Amino acid sequence: MTTFVASPSVRAQARAQGIDLEALAQRLGRSQLTADDLQTGSPASTSNSSDEAARYWDVDHSQYGAVQEEPMSRFAQVAAQNLSAANTLIPQVTHHDRADISALEAFRTELKPEAKARGIKLTALAFQVKALAVALDAFPRFNASLSADGKTLTLKDYRHIGIAVDTPHGLMVPVVRDADQKGLWQIAEEIADLAARAQERKLGPQDMGGASMTITNLGGIGGSAFTPIVNPPEVAILGITRAEISPVWDGNAFQPRPMLPLDLSYDHRVINGAEAARFMVQLAGLLADPRRMLI
Amino acid sequence: MADNHADFIVIGAGPGGYACAFRAADLGRKVVLVDPRASLGGVCLNEGCIPSKALLHAAQVLREARHAGDWGLSFAAPKIDLDRLRSKKDGIVAQLTGGLSALAKRRKVQVVRGTARFSDAKTLDVDGKSWSFEHAVIAVGSSPIQLPGWPQDDRIWDSTAALELLSIPKRLAIVGGGIIGLEMATVYAALGSDVTVIELADQIAPGADLEAAGILAAALQDQGVTLHTSTKTARVESNKKQLTLLCEGAFSGTLEADAIIQAVGRRSNAQGVAPEAAGITADERGIIAVDASCQTSVPGIFAIGDVTGNPMLAHRATHQGHVAAEVACGHAAALDTNLIPSVAYTSPELAWVGVSEQQAKAQGLAHAVTSFPWAASGRNLASGGGDGLTKLIYCPDSNRLLGASLVGANAGELLAEACLAIEMGATLEDLALTVHAHPTLSETLAFASERALGTLTDL
Repeated sequence: MTTFVASPSVRAQARAQGIDLEALAQRLGRSQLTADDLQTGSPASTSNSSDEAARYWDVDHSQYGAVQEEPMSRFAQVAAQNLSAANTLIPQVTHHDRADISALEAFRTELKPEAKARGIKLTALAFQVKALAVALDAFPRFNASLSADGKTLTLKDYRHIGIAVDTPHGLMVPVVRDADQKGLWQIAEEIADLAARAQERKLGPQDMGGASMTITNLGGIGGSAFTPIVNPPEVAILGITRAEISPVWDGNAFQPRPMLPLDLSYDHRVINGAEAARFMVQLAGLLADPRRMLI
Repeated sequence: MADNHADFIVIGAGPGGYACAFRAADLGRKVVLVDPRASLGGVCLNEGCIPSKALLHAAQVLREARHAGDWGLSFAAPKIDLDRLRSKKDGIVAQLTGGLSALAKRRKVQVVRGTARFSDAKTLDVDGKSWSFEHAVIAVGSSPIQLPGWPQDDRIWDSTAALELLSIPKRLAIVGGGIIGLEMATVYAALGSDVTVIELADQIAPGADLEAAGILAAALQDQGVTLHTSTKTARVESNKKQLTLLCEGAFSGTLEADAIIQAVGRRSNAQGVAPEAAGITADERGIIAVDASCQTSVPGIFAIGDVTGNPMLAHRATHQGHVAAEVACGHAAALDTNLIPSVAYTSPELAWVGVSEQQAKAQGLAHAVTSFPWAASGRNLASGGGDGLTKLIYCPDSNRLLGASLVGANAGELLAEACLAIEMGATLEDLALTVHAHPTLSETLAFASERALGTLTDL
């Protein structure tokens, strides 16, 4: 039995518009859908199939040259739907900042022999995960989820950090649980394990979901800034690109410093701009001086 | 190179096939409709739904004439002129099939008389001529099942033969107490046969609500029909004088009959089009698997109606026909409902749709039941109607209607309100607060709803 009812004409109209009524009913929290509800069920947010605009894009590309077609995997289709919904439904702002990671990098270099001895690759990402988990302590609204009806904010007592992992079969987001309570060695080890299993598509349901926030780090590839899309039901996501040696004025002279670009996209319904700026100052401070993570 | 090319070819001109052909033509396709019969309309028009309804109407007139004495009206005993009754029935069929031909002509649908078989996924053979096609629709319907091991005897009829009205057998045995068997029992009992129905299941009209089927059973027995449920026809023997049925089960023994109607169900005709040549596999019952848009596993080939399985009903086929035509023309269409109404045009009629009480129990579905007995319906009594019942199955949380079973005069017509109500997600309140004309039989749906809501003042 379906969990909602819609009259035959509403079902036919939804099908013509490529609207998934089941998803729409869930989103609107309704047991009965009318023709009016279809207005709010914009295809971009409820379905990946073509609406009028998308149909207009469906041109015959082969008229311009040779092409090949490849089916979107079920996984990719679901991901596409979620991204469309997140981008359509959440008013998002992206805040940019930079962190001076001279001290962090010096510390990491210092630990390298020990890391080698332990057989662990101590990546910058491990520090970033730890710093983010610690930063959430003072900013509970970043570790929250908003109910579908917009009436309730759920604040989480745990600090789990999702990590976006690029795999051949698509983007996966495994989660490091209770990162605030774990040491850097353990975090680094867990990240390596999760990333490896993501590549092999061996992540279980217990490895994913329930993150406080997600980190998407493109530092290994390049770029100087980007605007990530919030991964609901989370309300914020931290994008990181490659650190660059930049001139920083120390009061007397420009000093060459490794500066790490940080891009925070957040759900503006839950977080306001000043709060976001304060959060980023705090996070940049933790990354600039890892000792602060202990305080 | 094929001899001919069809833009859109429909194999079978039954209620599914012609609906599909006409819809496709209306959407601008050049349509070819292939059928071996001389007239359009398939089993439904030529030897099924329509001729049986004509005979059932005559049976109803006979019964009413016989009961007219109760109303102080007396007629001489009715004389039955079988030839005139048959030609009246045939005239109605001819009128309707002729009408279909005119509709086909108006739409420039090319009707080809012949039997089509697939040569491959892109070609059909129609009586030796090859046809290539863009889209093809398999709509070849079903045939009555012939039970194995029975003697060859022209006193053993299938439903088609029974509707030919060859004679009025003195003793008629009907094997199969489903809709078709019960309709034939209604006709032949009224015409004067001594009818016995043998049904394997533990109720007549299997699938129908037990209580409603019970009311029909009692009415049929009043009409002189003997019903043996939970009974198997183990063997049939024939000699010059008569046919003998050996029965096992709740009724165990022999039955003598002057004719037997086999009405144990219908079997898909899919094998006749050689679907495997096109790469389509029919299962062991001849059923072709299709999705909600009526597409088979082979692109460009659709299947609709009885070849796609149960319920084998004309109205399902018609809707599927429209869906197939629309999908082939690039529209987003699908048969996205399980709500296919069933009607036995017996006297009284038995009609049901959606979830039955027995199904709800078997599936552990949260449900509640309300009903209204027709003994309390003014319209029913004033029309000389007998026992009847309107029964509604609904969700106890939302009061939404889930199913309906009706037994009584015109139950088949009354069912449409329940179909619409369920499709629209109507609740008992919606039914109760909709003003129904008084006195009508349709009121019983509102009354049954009011009864559940505690607002009924008619009981």
